[in-house]
Amino acid sequence: MLQFPAWKVLLVFGVLIWGVIMALPNAVNMSNAPGFLPKKAVNLGLDLRGGVYLEMEIPATEVISSRLEVFARDVRSAFARTSDRDPIFFQPELRGRTMLIKLSRPDADGNFPVEDALRRLDRINSPIEGGLGGGKTFDISRAGPDSLLVSVSSASETAMLQDALNKTMTIVRRRVDPDGVAEISLTPSGTNRIVLEAPGEPDPERLKDLLSRDGRMTFNLVESSPAEIASAQAGVIKPGFRLLEGPETGPLLVREIPEVVGSDIATASQGNDDANRPQINFRLNANGARKFYETTRNNSGKLFAIVLDDVIMSAPRINEPIPGGNVRITGSFTIEQAQDLAAIIAAGEMPAKVQFLDQRVVSSTLGEDSIESGFRAAIVGLALVAVFMVLAYGLQGMFAVFSLMANVILIFAALSLVGATLTLPGIAGIILTIGMAVDANVLVFERIREEQNNGRSLWTAVQAGYERALVTILDANVTTLFAAIILYTLGSGPVKGFAVTLAFGIVTSVFTAFVFTRMLTIFWMKAFKTKSFAV
Amino acid sequence: MLIKYWPKETKIPFMRYRYVGVVLSVVMMIASVYLVMTRGLNLGVDFAGGSVIELRQTEQVTVPEVRSRIQGSLTVNSATNANGELVVIRFGDLDQSLLGPEFQALSDEDKAERASAASNTYVVNALKREFNLADADILRNDSVGPKVSSELFREGMIALGVATIMMFLYIAFRYTWSYAVGGIAALVHDAIGTIGLFSLLQLEFDLTTIAALLTIIGYSVNDSVVVFDRIREIRRKYKQMPATEVIDIATNQTLSRTFLTGGTTIIAVLAIAIFGGPVLQGMSVAMIWGIIIGTYSSIYFAAAIVLMLGVDINRKPVEDTPGFEAMP
Repeated sequence: MLQFPAWKVLLVFGVLIWGVIMALPNAVNMSNAPGFLPKKAVNLGLDLRGGVYLEMEIPATEVISSRLEVFARDVRSAFARTSDRDPIFFQPELRGRTMLIKLSRPDADGNFPVEDALRRLDRINSPIEGGLGGGKTFDISRAGPDSLLVSVSSASETAMLQDALNKTMTIVRRRVDPDGVAEISLTPSGTNRIVLEAPGEPDPERLKDLLSRDGRMTFNLVESSPAEIASAQAGVIKPGFRLLEGPETGPLLVREIPEVVGSDIATASQGNDDANRPQINFRLNANGARKFYETTRNNSGKLFAIVLDDVIMSAPRINEPIPGGNVRITGSFTIEQAQDLAAIIAAGEMPAKVQFLDQRVVSSTLGEDSIESGFRAAIVGLALVAVFMVLAYGLQGMFAVFSLMANVILIFAALSLVGATLTLPGIAGIILTIGMAVDANVLVFERIREEQNNGRSLWTAVQAGYERALVTILDANVTTLFAAIILYTLGSGPVKGFAVTLAFGIVTSVFTAFVFTRMLTIFWMKAFKTKSFAV
Repeated sequence: MLIKYWPKETKIPFMRYRYVGVVLSVVMMIASVYLVMTRGLNLGVDFAGGSVIELRQTEQVTVPEVRSRIQGSLTVNSATNANGELVVIRFGDLDQSLLGPEFQALSDEDKAERASAASNTYVVNALKREFNLADADILRNDSVGPKVSSELFREGMIALGVATIMMFLYIAFRYTWSYAVGGIAALVHDAIGTIGLFSLLQLEFDLTTIAALLTIIGYSVNDSVVVFDRIREIRRKYKQMPATEVIDIATNQTLSRTFLTGGTTIIAVLAIAIFGGPVLQGMSVAMIWGIIIGTYSSIYFAAAIVLMLGVDINRKPVEDTPGFEAMP
């Protein structure tokens, strides 16, 4: 316990010097330092630097029902070709997570051809994406003499949610950060949740607007006379058409089946028109460009509606065939609106509308205030504990204060090393550690005091003090470490930051209190031939 | 040196008054449970759902102005941080008639899910309009939906439960089950006592409070373990000594450590309470109280229960103190 061979001394100082180097960027600007030195300070949490935290959920039911809708369309188009001759006619009816298909035309004997319909549906029922077992996406079963029930197995549901989660993550990133420059973090959580952290973003409403759009983009031909619009508004819409509105165009009747859809769009960006007003430019891919060219060639003189989420953005008149697939939307946008719309269009359609569960916004000024508060509390805490220790234990207390400082430096070094995030509760964790770290020192000092009182010489007292206190120190610290680990595993956000600093603080405090203080004490005793400590 | 003034050897007969201590502790725990059941806890947004918005107080933006100009049932208070006075606005789901046509169009199920977010949007817009605020003027805006808040509460309770079980197992492994029961009783005592204080003073109970409770649990066990270690050591040395005396000596010998560590920890946490700003206040109040009752409970609750259940550890004949063990 009292021997410190050279290699041990080197090791201890090595650790401390490493700690100082790692922690240095937090105290001084290191951007001009030589290349081998670390330059990055500890990551600050959103509560210290300001920014937006958003937790969103992709509703499972909506994902499934929108997939069922797509399936219904597939079924309709597969059967439409033969519908005149076909005895099977059906009306799909969505019921949350299932869909009921009713056959409406019995054969000559009055029986419904359910088996035949099952066979045909099975043919367009694709296998589960990424699944190996060959399971089908939908379970289709007989629900009655004239009806079939389409449902989703749990394996298929998992695959759908996984797919929706991946797609949504990509779309969220593209919408929030179209240029790939912002420092945002997106983390999946559970099966259908996403956590978005955007440091420096002041406005959660803009983010929420960006993310709550479906982003369903279509180009539909317009065929409407004023009389048809009037009758549609009265509730009589001509078949195959929908009544949509737009802020620039007013109500129009557009064809239900679009000519060009979102997946035909290659890129979209914000640009300027001839009068230097913001507009949205986009380019169609080869398939889209061909369809666009054909439509414009065959429908000269008609209006062509560009529809985003059932709102007509613009409805220019087709004057001539347009080759090349370059399209633009003009209108009265601000630059920011045009950029956001371009990002939404380019990112594509959300599998389902996300819901926002948890939103936390901290302005950068409050973050600075918090850093200041935390720093002030830490300095005051450290100073008071130092004064208290020196008053209580004199010289030994001084050693303990040195090891406290070493402890704080090592905590910062450890945070830098693992790239952990420092939060305001994290700072509280450091201050708490300052208070608790002296416990190991106190245990040893008390032991030394007792042994001296029992008449032992200083050297044997110090020896016994460290030896006997070790078990207690370990037992006592392991329990707090448990608490910190549990807090880290189960806690979230800023509280996790508290757990991290607490856990590091416990480990480093055992090292500094038990090894570093001991070394200082023994060096001192050897150098000054101390006979006893004034306790 | 302060420690000079600490008597070299205290001889307080702690265990003579153990029944007083145990009764006192039990009364406090019952009172805490009673308080929580009758007064309840002032759950923060983390657990109750709803919103908190913080603004910098200015000549225009004051507590009464916000109260009078923004409709809906809001709780408006002031607070202080490093750089001045704040106006803190809290609210849950506002009256649905305030929430605009888009919200009215939702289905009932969606309304329940989204009322919290819609209320937040409504208040933020009203504040921006009434006080001509920019985004940067809204210092903090937290809005937690019902789903997440109930999950966070459940997770917090699970964390406390798991921590308790881990501590029990650790003490049982290092000592015996009677020590484990004593240590856990002290831990539960401290946690319940702290929750009771939160109910009594109606302090905000949120995620940082759970963090504080876990720290208190760790500290409480830490304190108990130090006493237990001494009990074990003395028991090994003096096999014939009555258990009451063993515990008294152990608590007296560790007493100055108990007060010194408690003292430095409270000093550090006081610094957080005074200078750390409003976010950390509840956490630090919880910890100060927890450390005080934790110090008390390690002596009067943990040790007293160990005394009742039995202090003996030596099931194995040879332990790691061969000097005191007569070889057969």
